[in-house]
Amino acid sequence: MVGPASKEVLVDGRAKRGHNPHGYEERTDESVIGAQRRRSEHPMTRFVESTITFPYKRSLGPVIGPFMTALTDKRLLGIRNGDQVISPPMEWDPATGADLGTDLVEVGPTGTVESWTWVPKPSAQHPLDRPFAFAFIRLDGATNRFLHAVDAGSPDMLSVGARVAPRWRGTRRGAIDDIVCFVLGETPEVDGDDAGPKESVELMDYNASITYVNPVSPTLDRTVDASAAGRLLAQECPTCGRVYAGGRGLCPVDATIFTEANDVDLPQTGTITNFVVVTPVQYPGQTETEPFARVFVLIDGYDVVLGYQPTIEVPVDDVRVGMRVSAVWASPGEDVSNASVGGNYGRLVGWIPTGEPDIDDPDLVNRIF
Amino acid sequence: MPFNVDVAVVGWAQTPMVRRTDLSETQLLVDAITDALTPLGLTRADVDFTCLGSCDYITGQAFSFVQNLDALGAWPPKQDSHVELDGAWALYEAWLRLQHGDIEIAVVTGSGRSSTGDPSLIYPMEMDPYYLAPLGADPLTFAALQARALIDAGITSERAMAEIAVRSRQNAIGNPHAQVQGKGNVDELLAGEYVREPLRRHDLPPITDGACAMVLASAERARQLVERPAFIAGIDHRSECHNPAFRDLTDSPSTRIAGQEAGVGRAPVEIAELQAAFTHEEVLLSRALGLGPDTKVNPSGGALASNPIMATGLVRIGHAAEHIFSGGNRALAHSTSGPCLQQNLVCILEGSPS
Repeated sequence: MVGPASKEVLVDGRAKRGHNPHGYEERTDESVIGAQRRRSEHPMTRFVESTITFPYKRSLGPVIGPFMTALTDKRLLGIRNGDQVISPPMEWDPATGADLGTDLVEVGPTGTVESWTWVPKPSAQHPLDRPFAFAFIRLDGATNRFLHAVDAGSPDMLSVGARVAPRWRGTRRGAIDDIVCFVLGETPEVDGDDAGPKESVELMDYNASITYVNPVSPTLDRTVDASAAGRLLAQECPTCGRVYAGGRGLCPVDATIFTEANDVDLPQTGTITNFVVVTPVQYPGQTETEPFARVFVLIDGYDVVLGYQPTIEVPVDDVRVGMRVSAVWASPGEDVSNASVGGNYGRLVGWIPTGEPDIDDPDLVNRIF
Repeated sequence: MPFNVDVAVVGWAQTPMVRRTDLSETQLLVDAITDALTPLGLTRADVDFTCLGSCDYITGQAFSFVQNLDALGAWPPKQDSHVELDGAWALYEAWLRLQHGDIEIAVVTGSGRSSTGDPSLIYPMEMDPYYLAPLGADPLTFAALQARALIDAGITSERAMAEIAVRSRQNAIGNPHAQVQGKGNVDELLAGEYVREPLRRHDLPPITDGACAMVLASAERARQLVERPAFIAGIDHRSECHNPAFRDLTDSPSTRIAGQEAGVGRAPVEIAELQAAFTHEEVLLSRALGLGPDTKVNPSGGALASNPIMATGLVRIGHAAEHIFSGGNRALAHSTSGPCLQQNLVCILEGSPS
């Protein structure tokens, strides 16, 4: 998982309320019972929007691979299963799980609509950006149904039994959407110039991306606000007395919800208890290129460890257990929205050595929580 | 079904069911768990085992359920598990765990904030990654294709589906957790436009944020805690092929087998709470379970009244338990997961142990 790729803070999440891109309908005209205010609810909750991208590469294997390869050649394959021919092909019998081998045969490319539904408002993920049908199509020679889009123009044009043929993408990569959609009639089409088949397709890319809007706990909001004034805010549990930094909204030990009355200011000095040096692997979204340290800091006088913190002005080889450090805050106006760490601590950008002698305590290394 | 240990539902609670909540999933669970335990005179420290049902895809965070543990009060350490399924399957796992006979009390939850993302963009990503996800094949599309299959087979009709919606909305008037209540007669509903032909708005569930928590106890402890526990007399779940294109959409063999194994036919069923998020699913499920006219279906209004994803099935078990608490003898609860009723769980609750 990569993310959040972008992070936008909405001053008031209610700005999102007019937004209805999903297929399910809003029910605002129904007898909707409003949110009852609860003891843990905050009157002006802030929401954060983030987009997460999952860049997957999938192996296709001995059955789906040849099927995808044939798509680049504008051919459709099925697999024999006794008297049946399954398309798109599966490696195993959908009913019994029996191994079907690799007995692939050509089907289609034309077929017959067995069932369909009309999509009046396509989503960003749908194959077409205008109203279309999703249909179960029985490809000629196949014995099961194949789901794809039909570009029929209007639901009046479609019926069970309608004949359809594929509209191929001009440049095909070996994926199910090499078929743009099906069209009415017996004649396959090609969208644009035909770039021809590919040799052998063994992998497919699938870049999933979703945008989420989440409420921010009031405790985290106060923590981030305090950080702008260079304060390291924490909460002391009124039930068990334990202290938590990082804007956690409730005590994980006894599930007590924190309020403003539980806020405490922490000292800004501490001791490194443990650390890790990360050699960055380049993946989508990774911005680091050189090895970097992440340290765990035990705050002076409190049973609180801040985990996975950046260091400031310390060569990676000099970072050590027992090192004394103090907090460094972003200067006014400095943009920390893309800081690699820090979301939960606001404008805390890292920890810098104080120059004091190291603490010599072999038990320190055990403190990462 | 012979059990080692008779297990009963002794209490449950749900949060307000709303289109959007200001609360995080963890905070929703804090309230639901407290409200389930407190009337029983129990605290979090009395709980021996916990199992949470939720979905990382809906939350947008890997291992999001680890944060939800905060709502359980995780110290001293508890025996805990998680299912990436409706809370009804969390109940199944807790029931199994209680069969060992060495613990007495379990808490199970189901929770989901659908308002976090866009359901029509999230669910396609859970589908077959080669053939379905790249097309954005969404649950509404599959539901519509299944509804048409049932209509073409003469098993239901658009009018019969609207009648189910009207009845659910009427039933929901007595349910303070319903988002959709009352409005509309059959002709008015049938005058509406298609969302996905042959489905209209009334055939669809609302989008809901909410959580549910339930307390299970071994028989002896259950009788100490409440006057009339709801004993689990039978429970089973079954799954079918992941791709609806390979299934007969006019039948639900997994529901039928789960119902048989849970013992549905052994005695009359007074009420059945079915997780039918779409009207036509109620028709199919009632047939597969062999429910007759004597069984009242979805007296709470069902999933058409409020549909807190990952909790909808557990809420069904809660309403069925409520029927037993208030003097009923036999109730059925059903939960489902996956497109076109792919996986189905059936739970029979009775007023006395098996």
